Amino acid sequence: MYTLEKKLLEEPKKTSFTYSERNAHLLASSKDLKKTFLKTGTTIVGMIFKDGVVLAADTRSTVDKIVADKNCEKLHFISENIYCAGAGVAADTEHITEMVSSRLSLHSLRSGEHPRVVSAMTMLKDHLFKHMGYLTAALILGGVDATGPHLYSVWPHGSVDCLPYLTMGSGSVAAMSFLEARYEDGLEEEAAIGLIGDAIEAGILNDLGSGSNVDIVVIKKDGTRMMRNVRKTGTISGDDE
Amino acid sequence: MSNPFTLNGGTVLSMKGKNCVVILCDTRLGSQYETVSTSFPKIFKMNPRVFFGLAGLASDVITLHHKLRFHVNLFQLKQERSMPPHVFSKLVSTTLYEKRFGSFFAQPIIAGLHDDGSPFISSMDSIGATTEPEDFVVAGTGADYVTGACEKYWEKDMEPRQLLKVADKCLQAGVNRDAFSGWGGVAYLITPEGVEKFDLKMRQD
Amino acid sequence: MFKSFVLPGKEHPVKFDEEIAYTETSKDTPPVDGLVQPAPGRLHRLHGTTTLGFVFQHGVLIAVDSRSTMGQYISSQTVKKVIEITPRLLGTMAGGAADCDYWERRLARRVRLRELESKEEVTVAAASRMLANMLYYYKGMGLSVGTMVAGFDASGPHLYYVDNDGVRYHNDRFSVGSGSTYAYAILDQEYRYDLSVEEAVTLGRRAIYHATHRDAMSGGFINVYLMTEDGWQRYPTKDCYVEHYGEEEPFLE
Repeated sequence: MYTLEKKLLEEPKKTSFTYSERNAHLLASSKDLKKTFLKTGTTIVGMIFKDGVVLAADTRSTVDKIVADKNCEKLHFISENIYCAGAGVAADTEHITEMVSSRLSLHSLRSGEHPRVVSAMTMLKDHLFKHMGYLTAALILGGVDATGPHLYSVWPHGSVDCLPYLTMGSGSVAAMSFLEARYEDGLEEEAAIGLIGDAIEAGILNDLGSGSNVDIVVIKKDGTRMMRNVRKTGTISGDDE
Repeated sequence: MSNPFTLNGGTVLSMKGKNCVVILCDTRLGSQYETVSTSFPKIFKMNPRVFFGLAGLASDVITLHHKLRFHVNLFQLKQERSMPPHVFSKLVSTTLYEKRFGSFFAQPIIAGLHDDGSPFISSMDSIGATTEPEDFVVAGTGADYVTGACEKYWEKDMEPRQLLKVADKCLQAGVNRDAFSGWGGVAYLITPEGVEKFDLKMRQD
Repeated sequence: MFKSFVLPGKEHPVKFDEEIAYTETSKDTPPVDGLVQPAPGRLHRLHGTTTLGFVFQHGVLIAVDSRSTMGQYISSQTVKKVIEITPRLLGTMAGGAADCDYWERRLARRVRLRELESKEEVTVAAASRMLANMLYYYKGMGLSVGTMVAGFDASGPHLYYVDNDGVRYHNDRFSVGSGSTYAYAILDQEYRYDLSVEEAVTLGRRAIYHATHRDAMSGGFINVYLMTEDGWQRYPTKDCYVEHYGEEEPFLE
């Protein structure tokens, strides 16, 4: 049987490279094609504070220069104690985090232990490295497990940073200016939420790819608190959305 | 080589109302600037409560529709229940992402009602990044123009008739600014009482 | 006189025109394989059109659509594509709107000056030749003009086709623009020299209407002009919607 057909029949469920060469050709000959994917020109931030980890994101998603969704969710659920903020191609961040979430829950059911942040991080970086940067996902992974609070950033090619405070996405520079100025070790929860909100707000106001509202998730040893639309910075006042 | 997303043309729109949802599309099939057919609907009934709109390359619209039809029918046979709209939306999303590096050149829109009568709409890009907004979803060559009209005329909790009227107006306003869409339209109004189909009278130029 | 029309101070005026007309300045669309990627419509409006004209026993009939597009965007549905040069000369518009408009207005001025000078009416042949010569001078420099010059002079009704290549044809019927093939289908089938005025107007409208139906770049309203010995007269403009459904397009409130 013809190899390509055989390949298609054998592995129909895996992410497929089947038409990648054809698509590369189409992309080269049609400049508009690249722009049709939903992207999150984004500001995402992660920070370690006294009692755990806090992650935050804006809520704008775009196709080319059109705002496709004014209130999307960029803080992805991995497990009760782990969340992941995503920037880049929306389909990639959504599907990768979903895949890791399901694998991690199977993993913890089998081992009988609570999931760990390092496990999630390893799965993410392995998957991204395997795809050689073709999956456009820039992630900030944060959580609290048996070994304490952890914060990582995972880059599209599969490299990882581990730092007490991190920013990613097109608005990362604006957000980082706030963190560099005001971050200190052992911040109280309220101060941490305030700072991270200001950092995202800087992205919303100064970066055209980011916009709308601020989402924050606070992860502590004793539980997780997800807060949607904490600030409605880029929403027209009086608009109830 | 021309852009496969705009080769055949077409626009799809769906709007949420109070316990109802409307989904509509134009019926043009073109080849670049030549109109080949004026009776090519882009909305498919997947089950009595779920409708599926596809805008983009006509061959992928047909292929994807058949592929999903197969899965929906199999679900019905195995589980002896209709596939709920949010489940169908997820099915479409994973089906598209399966081909992450060789995607279908089509953007889907899903509209339906949950068992409790609450409306559901969602839209995706060609690799399955889903959005589920409160108000309306648009896809296709005239999407930019239709979005503008919807942004102005959509209101919360519209009754079925008003919803249909507003959606029709928004679609036509947008489509009449897009050379690749128009030439007739179809609308489905989905309420807990049932589904009504409407043919939209449109400019033929 | 020609030299007063300024060319860009570049080695290749055409290349310069292509650059500003077709390239997006944004950095994310680099040229592919060193070729400038066409993004039609940034500078040149009105690329798609259907226009037609034919000579018959009562004179010349001109029928045109009224749509203007920039790429796939319909930028206007109410463009006037017939240019009134003199009371006995008409020009039509296809290609670049600005180019047609400018060169035919310029033709009008030259025709008028010539008439004042020689105290004689300029023939259709002479007027169309003037236009063809002007366009030939700028041949290959990026002008986009596809026009019909219709008129009535001492020798009767005439119809000429002139375009930016500098060609000039004389015939009893022409159709120009992206929808011309569709219009020709109707026109060639039903054209006769001995058409009545009413039949001619209906034929012109019908040919344009069918072209607007098939061609995405043509549409809007149908404008008809009849050129007789007494000069041109304009027929009431007709919406394509009315032509199809026989009733006014309802206002969606």
